[in-house]
Amino acid sequence: MSKGGRISRRTVLRGVGTMVALPFLEAMLPRGLGMVAEKTAAPRRMAFIYVPIGAHMANWTPSGEGVNFELSPTLLPMAPHQKDLLVLSGLTCDKARPNGDGAGDHARAGGSYLTGCQARKTAGVNFQAGISADQIAARRLGDQTRLPSLELGIERYRGTGNCDSGYSCVYEHTIAWRTPTLPLPTEVNPKLVFERLFSDQPNDPDRANRNQLRASVLDTILEDARGLENRLGGADKQKLDQYLSCVRELELRIARADKLPPVEVPEGTAKPQIVPAEYSEHCRLMCDLLVLAFQTDVTRIATFMFAREGSEIQYRNIGITEGHHECTHHRGNPGLIEKVSKINKFHVEQFAYLIGKLKSIPEGNGTLLDSCMITYGSAIEDGNRHTHENLPILVAGQGGGSLKTGRHVRYPTETPVTNLWLALLDRMGAHTEKLGDSTGILGGLS
Amino acid sequence: MKLRCLLLGTLTLMALAAIREASPSAAPPTPPPVKDQGSPSFTKDVVPFLTKHCYACHGNGKKRGELTLDGYRDELAVQKDRKVWDNVLQMVRSGEMPPKEKPRPPAVEAEAALRSLEGVLAKVDCSGARNAGRVTLRRLNRVEYNNTVRDLIGADFQPAADFPNDDVGYGFDNNGDVLSLSPLLLEQYLSAAESILDHAIVNTEAPKPVKNRLSGIRVSRGSGDMRRGYGSFLHSQGSIYGESYCDAGDYVVRVEAFGQQVGDEPVRAEVRIGEEKKEFEVSAKEAAPATLEMNVRLQTGTRRVSVSFLNPYRDPNAEDKEKQHRLLVVRSIVLDGPHNAPAPILPESHQRILAHRSGLEPREAAREVVARFANGAFRRPVKPVEIERFLKLYDKAQQRSERWENAVRLALCGILASPHFLYRVELDPPNAKAGMPYLVNEYELANRLSYFIWSSMPDDQLFELAAKGQLRTNLELQVRRMVKEPKSIAFVQNFAGQWLTLRKLATIAPDPKLFPNFDEELRSAMHRETELFFEAILREDRSIFDLLNSDFSFVNERLARHYGVEGVTGREFRRVQLPANRGGILTHASILTLTSNSTRTAPVKRGKFVLDQILNTPPPPPPPDVPNLPEEKELTGSLRQVMEMHRENAICASCHQRMDPIGFAFEHYNAIGAWRDKDGVFPIDPTGVLPDGKSFKGPADLKTILTGKKDLFSRCLTEKVLTYALGRGVEHFDRCAVDKIVKALEQNEYRFSILLMEVVKSEPFQMRTATGEKQ
Repeated sequence: MSKGGRISRRTVLRGVGTMVALPFLEAMLPRGLGMVAEKTAAPRRMAFIYVPIGAHMANWTPSGEGVNFELSPTLLPMAPHQKDLLVLSGLTCDKARPNGDGAGDHARAGGSYLTGCQARKTAGVNFQAGISADQIAARRLGDQTRLPSLELGIERYRGTGNCDSGYSCVYEHTIAWRTPTLPLPTEVNPKLVFERLFSDQPNDPDRANRNQLRASVLDTILEDARGLENRLGGADKQKLDQYLSCVRELELRIARADKLPPVEVPEGTAKPQIVPAEYSEHCRLMCDLLVLAFQTDVTRIATFMFAREGSEIQYRNIGITEGHHECTHHRGNPGLIEKVSKINKFHVEQFAYLIGKLKSIPEGNGTLLDSCMITYGSAIEDGNRHTHENLPILVAGQGGGSLKTGRHVRYPTETPVTNLWLALLDRMGAHTEKLGDSTGILGGLS
Repeated sequence: MKLRCLLLGTLTLMALAAIREASPSAAPPTPPPVKDQGSPSFTKDVVPFLTKHCYACHGNGKKRGELTLDGYRDELAVQKDRKVWDNVLQMVRSGEMPPKEKPRPPAVEAEAALRSLEGVLAKVDCSGARNAGRVTLRRLNRVEYNNTVRDLIGADFQPAADFPNDDVGYGFDNNGDVLSLSPLLLEQYLSAAESILDHAIVNTEAPKPVKNRLSGIRVSRGSGDMRRGYGSFLHSQGSIYGESYCDAGDYVVRVEAFGQQVGDEPVRAEVRIGEEKKEFEVSAKEAAPATLEMNVRLQTGTRRVSVSFLNPYRDPNAEDKEKQHRLLVVRSIVLDGPHNAPAPILPESHQRILAHRSGLEPREAAREVVARFANGAFRRPVKPVEIERFLKLYDKAQQRSERWENAVRLALCGILASPHFLYRVELDPPNAKAGMPYLVNEYELANRLSYFIWSSMPDDQLFELAAKGQLRTNLELQVRRMVKEPKSIAFVQNFAGQWLTLRKLATIAPDPKLFPNFDEELRSAMHRETELFFEAILREDRSIFDLLNSDFSFVNERLARHYGVEGVTGREFRRVQLPANRGGILTHASILTLTSNSTRTAPVKRGKFVLDQILNTPPPPPPPDVPNLPEEKELTGSLRQVMEMHRENAICASCHQRMDPIGFAFEHYNAIGAWRDKDGVFPIDPTGVLPDGKSFKGPADLKTILTGKKDLFSRCLTEKVLTYALGRGVEHFDRCAVDKIVKALEQNEYRFSILLMEVVKSEPFQMRTATGEKQ
């Protein structure tokens, strides 16, 4: 053990070989944080996987409830993980409904899924949703890791023109909202994700120097921006506030970087160089990066959109030449319904890959998945009719023993999905009283 | 918007109706009147409708949803509460109101009332002082950032390539309201600033000589091996080698070596680096290795040093089997250098950015550099207090004993991360009256101009005019000059690329089984054609109506084949006369492809494109809950026949009567824009009737009708250009400015330069309304 009473995780890695558990010993935590980890328990992690345009529910909902449930055709890829899985039926995303705002269910779905807030109907001026569940956790816990949170996606957005019936594109392209007016863009390029995760290499001799210089630059531009602040009014001021809060956030990150334990990329992990053209290859690479982020404890909170809401991806590798959204408006046509179900199942396959990967990494006495709460779902139930009750929702992982998995639980209709987020935030150690339209903490999970 | 209303695989047609009929079996409504019927009146044209359908819940003492409508007695009252009435428009048009349980107003009646209401809301008094609008503090978008850095530094790095995509508002990605910043992006701005300056300003210090002992020494396969504590050795012909990056200069190569001496001659070795080689006799033994030295002059680059064994030998009679072989053993290879390194070559940017008067104290020299750089980066004269602020960064670096260049670089890095660089800042003058419009200052005007036409910062000439206060008086000349500069291609790419939704073309994926001809080469040729065509209209100052109908375009061999134009070879684009069935953007393969589905044409999308982008009369969004169509009978026939059967359904009809006929006119062009004579086995019928009763025989006729809609198209294009130029949505109070531009176009043969000129001269472009009271 080194002088400071800390050992770097690199030392640990060398001792036990590569791609193995990174045990969370108290000694590895910086002083001060050691208190948090009195037990040698791994930290809890949460990720929110979003799939667009719901699912064909007849093929989604399992038969039977409680522990004696049978996986539905769509959920069949989860068979190896049934014991690690909660299937939740009956949850609702009311704020994705028009509620007087007319068309635009896709945009509203993206904007309300994790916020429980009705997205403001605007194609431009003053878009606004609410703070999202992942960002509540990131605010509370983000200072314990190098990155407060990670936002991943597949579809790079090219929104020319208006996006969904008068709604700004931003609602369909991210589910993570730092504040009601500050959406966080998703990153779709695996190479850039990798760089983001591991750019702050502690063994990089230039890092300390660069961080110090950056800190001075941030000081200066903060001062510069404050000089401007007094002279701006109205909407300009809001834009500058956004700038100021971003500067402060970066300052915090730089200050934090020195105090946090070093991060080591597991050996044999190479930086991805391209964005794979084929969907499942791309999606799985992003899953790998998500796992890597949790494994190395660079962050404990993530969102990942398997596609943007209202996506028109054509899943040609599974024989579908129409766009996803195009298929979902099937008007009861059996051929199209089959295609929708096929896409649903294909997405679940990617999810199963992610869960399998988390399970393949030992941690403590179990696996990385044990500490995780990975949710999977959509804020649309049926893409044909644009309904928002009885959403397709899954939770995988035991949340550090706080979730009793291997069950299908049915909730009374109109139970807000935000109640589930509150329940998970509670388990993360980020207890929150209210989130958008929540009515309480969801029970029946443990 | 989502085109929810598409034909699906089985050709079931979704309903898309402005107003649902009371009874689905009712006959299709006659098309709503399109022509302006004189000045609309609120009391005469709107109030009767409200009385009949709205006051029951929103009037007569009732205020469902906190809304009463019967308090609004006249136009003035309505115009004052625009937001309320915009909402009423939207709710009725989308079919949300009246609610389902109440009787539906007939479509014709509702549409007439709504049009009148729109007319009332659109009435603006153009005689008095007007609101000039107020663009929100705008972050540079990716293109603007790249171009600004290019013009500021003098080198095209494309640093924004990895930035997240910009948000889009009102159809363009330069909209102040939607462009946002995230911590991730700010971090990327910081990294970009660092890397831009690392490229632009090089370290002027010559690299210091070091003794570099090569690691990763290797032995050519099969001819030797490596042994710890002994060295790398060769027993047969082969070499021991290592690589290193070297800066240019003189080097001494030192190879520590000895031999296992067997036979009657000593070990001989050759050291080689690049083209240079030297032979050595290695008579030394393990106890006292020799150093083989060689002097070379190297250019910058990675170099390999190799040591080869020239005289392998085996003595089969040797007693000690270990010592049968003559061996060359290498302990280490050291590259000592660079000595006498040449002075580094300074990039042009380095000399320009760091230039200062001679004989200045270092901090004063830094001040001069920082001031000049900030003036450019902030695109206005910078105040001494601001310069001092960034000089503090210089001071900080000096305290850390950084070299002068590096200290200055840090100050410049701060400038590139400052909000004054990253945003386009416009400040209300101190004497501005709250809520009143004022002329933006000359520097702000220079910025508005240059970002409009070049998507970049102003050049020296614009700055000089602004400094003298003469830009406003020289606008025409400047706009003409700016359009002529190659940089104005930015307007083509960014304005036309977004107006015509060309950028979407990159994501379109026609079914490869049905369209095996489609490939990346064709995709990029399609895109290029439309850009070149738009550029020609712009540079040749043609009529804006040439965009819709003209007899020329630009093709290369690939696209010419697609169009059936003969005699074009090679990848170069050239201007050609088009066959009779082509001409104008609506028959460009680009537009035809991006308004199609992957497997077939989508007349609805094509019709909607014309309504949205050409006529600016977008169909209303589909109602939130389109009812299921009754069970489908088996439908057969051409796409058109099938769609027409559906259109008999009243729910679909009112909007599809506007979109579909336009789309059908282009049915002779398939989903990737190639000409076809038949739709499968069915003949194509490109004729149609528009809601206003005008009939056409095909695309040529339709284009004639469209080019006849002088006011609609010139107004549409004006609003799009104005939106792009202002970086904000066009509001009702911009109506007077739009009217003026449209009129000027009409009086000047609709020439493109007039459009640009009038936009630049318009009040919203020249002015800004001061913040403060309600705008």
